Amino acid sequence: MALLQIQEPGGKQAKPLHRRAVGIDLGTTNSLVAASFGPGVETLPDSADQHLLPSVVHYAKGKPPLVGVEAKALLVDDPLNTIASVKRLLGKSLSELKAKQDYLPFEFDEARADGAPAILTEAGSKDVVQISADILGALVERAESSLKGTLEGAVITVPAYFNDAQRQQTKDAAQLAGLKVLRLLNEPTAAAVAYGLDSNDQGNVVVFDLGGGTFDVSLLSLKNGVFEVLATGGDTSLGGDDIDHAIAEWIAAQLQESAGVAVPSIARLRQLANAAKHELSDKNQTTIVIDEWSALLDESALRELTADMIRRTVTSCRRVLRDAGLSAADIDNIVMVGGSTRMPLVRDAVAEFFGKTPLTDIDADKVVAIGAGIQADVLIGNKSPDSFLLLDVNPLSLGIETMGELVEKIIPRNTTIPVAKAQEFTTFKDGQTVMSLHVVQGERELVSDCRSLARFELRDIPAMVAGAAKIRVSFQVDADGLLSVSAQELSTGKKAEIQVKPSYGLEFSVIEEMLQDSQSHAKLDMEARSIKEAQLEATQLLDAIANALLVDGNLLSREEADSLSESIKALEITMTTGSSVQIHAATEELNKASSEFAAKRMDLHIANALRGESIDAVEK
Amino acid sequence: MQSLTRNYFTLFNLPEACELDQESLSAEYRRQQGEVHPDRFANAEEPEKLRAVQLSSYLNEAYETLKSPLRRAAYLLSLRDIDVEQVNQNDLSMDLLLEQIQLREKLDELPKDESALVSLDALRSEVNVKLEKQEKKFAEFFDLEDFNEAKKVYHELQFFYKLSTEINADEELRLGY
Repeated sequence: MALLQIQEPGGKQAKPLHRRAVGIDLGTTNSLVAASFGPGVETLPDSADQHLLPSVVHYAKGKPPLVGVEAKALLVDDPLNTIASVKRLLGKSLSELKAKQDYLPFEFDEARADGAPAILTEAGSKDVVQISADILGALVERAESSLKGTLEGAVITVPAYFNDAQRQQTKDAAQLAGLKVLRLLNEPTAAAVAYGLDSNDQGNVVVFDLGGGTFDVSLLSLKNGVFEVLATGGDTSLGGDDIDHAIAEWIAAQLQESAGVAVPSIARLRQLANAAKHELSDKNQTTIVIDEWSALLDESALRELTADMIRRTVTSCRRVLRDAGLSAADIDNIVMVGGSTRMPLVRDAVAEFFGKTPLTDIDADKVVAIGAGIQADVLIGNKSPDSFLLLDVNPLSLGIETMGELVEKIIPRNTTIPVAKAQEFTTFKDGQTVMSLHVVQGERELVSDCRSLARFELRDIPAMVAGAAKIRVSFQVDADGLLSVSAQELSTGKKAEIQVKPSYGLEFSVIEEMLQDSQSHAKLDMEARSIKEAQLEATQLLDAIANALLVDGNLLSREEADSLSESIKALEITMTTGSSVQIHAATEELNKASSEFAAKRMDLHIANALRGESIDAVEK
Repeated sequence: MQSLTRNYFTLFNLPEACELDQESLSAEYRRQQGEVHPDRFANAEEPEKLRAVQLSSYLNEAYETLKSPLRRAAYLLSLRDIDVEQVNQNDLSMDLLLEQIQLREKLDELPKDESALVSLDALRSEVNVKLEKQEKKFAEFFDLEDFNEAKKVYHELQFFYKLSTEINADEELRLGY
């Protein structure tokens, strides 16, 4: 056989090798892997012909990790060593996870030095990156046996709303699994690719992705093979699980009305609810049976139970339209992704809002993996690079902490990536030689309400008066949505850089809360911001006066000094307790009270200068 | 490959003017992104990849600048060495400030629930009309090369844009986003 591969000199070039690249949908509940087969891209099944791999890993002493259906079967019997939904743990700190302990049956490893969350299993301590890598490993194995060879690259999908830490850990997991990551691709973009390539469509596409636990909606414009994400939004705590929960509560309420029937466990109720939900996707009504008891659930009752959740999805659609500056009539196609979009009630609501029937031709569970597989095929070089291009956006605003714990946004949300932006900052105190930079992500105005991404310092800034130094802070987000930050002092060219990695061990509000809170707190933020600004102004004045008193305090009479120190005290008290208006007033008061002192200093310095002494010398 | 210092208008083969053909701008943007985007270099060596990230970022920045009328106005002035960051209090007319105060009062007085949505829409349209009027005015002064007046109009434009952002934020608040 080997002889056949030897090429004759000057002979015809053989057809270039088809390189092995896959698309991977690393899901919360299930994962899939897809690759190109002849003309199209298909998801790959396991030996039992199952395409979906449950995202569950079981660890046992002295054995390799067990992934998928067999691991899922151990969830009830061996909860401490069986880990499901690891995707929900990505990018979180240990303290955040422990705050949710009631949902997680695991024991966390407290001894880990870096504060990264890790779970204690029989097979040792496993962190979220390792667990994710084990799921990816199972998919790689499936793909390599199916494609008969080593993989050369992979495109891995992430929710559009994933923050920097979550993206970084996904990439780390892939590298740990031995994969070369060609690109991290946003799930909705992948879905649009799966639908958009065959037809040479032009126009605006909405991707509506309602999964088990999260809801994503993205708006893309498709033109000449370029997919441009115009806006993305959603709700990270809304999904099919909530619908099951609502039905389960309904069953429990019905049971209570009929005396003498024992209410089953929550797990059992959920199971019944889930089954009823699936029944109602095909039928108008279903009967729920518990022993001798039964109840009828019909579509109109389900409509009532889910009304609020469906309204929330429509609200997100409206917001995305607004962010993109479009109206419902401008949308040409709606792509449905995620198991929950099989519900007729969901489809109807979407159709009604956009005035169009959504596309459902591709299996809603497989569409993301297929889109990722298509992109992998292009990036590895099997397909002409001219066929299409994906332009993604960053889902959350990125900024830097400024004085008074305020966030200065450097890159606003929905900016097309890659993107580089720079902004100049200055020093706050006289003679300041170190500047601490705190990089944050989120929509709110106060640092404490955003997610902390990284902290670093720029040192050896030449000592100058406050406000004289110029420090340029540059943000670069690459095509995977990953951020790096650098800072440079412009007069000396001194530089400090950081590749942003998740920072652990601090108390942060979780991303889902951040997103939902950001808008409802806009008003509150404005007053908080005004107060911070007023406090800042007050601090600067107090510092300046304290410095001046230190140098030239002897210029003041006893009475003058007393009256000045009274105004200083008044401002110090107002600063901590007052409103922004009150702080402003007290600052103004102190300004007036110190004007006499300022005038005296000025006279002295002019007199000194005239005598030939420099002001600098006097100050020292 | 493009250099990172070219004039944004030259970059997109467009005349350096206030009026701009959005269609040609985005068509040329897409064409060039097709050449420089990092996805075109997924298999390349590290330095080439870095270069692609830089070029693609630069193209995005240039595109966003020209696409937005406000940012385009500031950019045009900066090309004439006019520093728009420097604001002189006297640049802002009393009439404009009074008008801004009135519009803001209107916004603040609206009920804080969904009943205000219709009035918000009306207010947004009112501000949009003013915005368009200011954009035209900017173009007139700019074309006459009266850059001082153009700068004043630019600052007025900023006020209206800010207001329009606040109207949107207020709407989101009421819709419970």
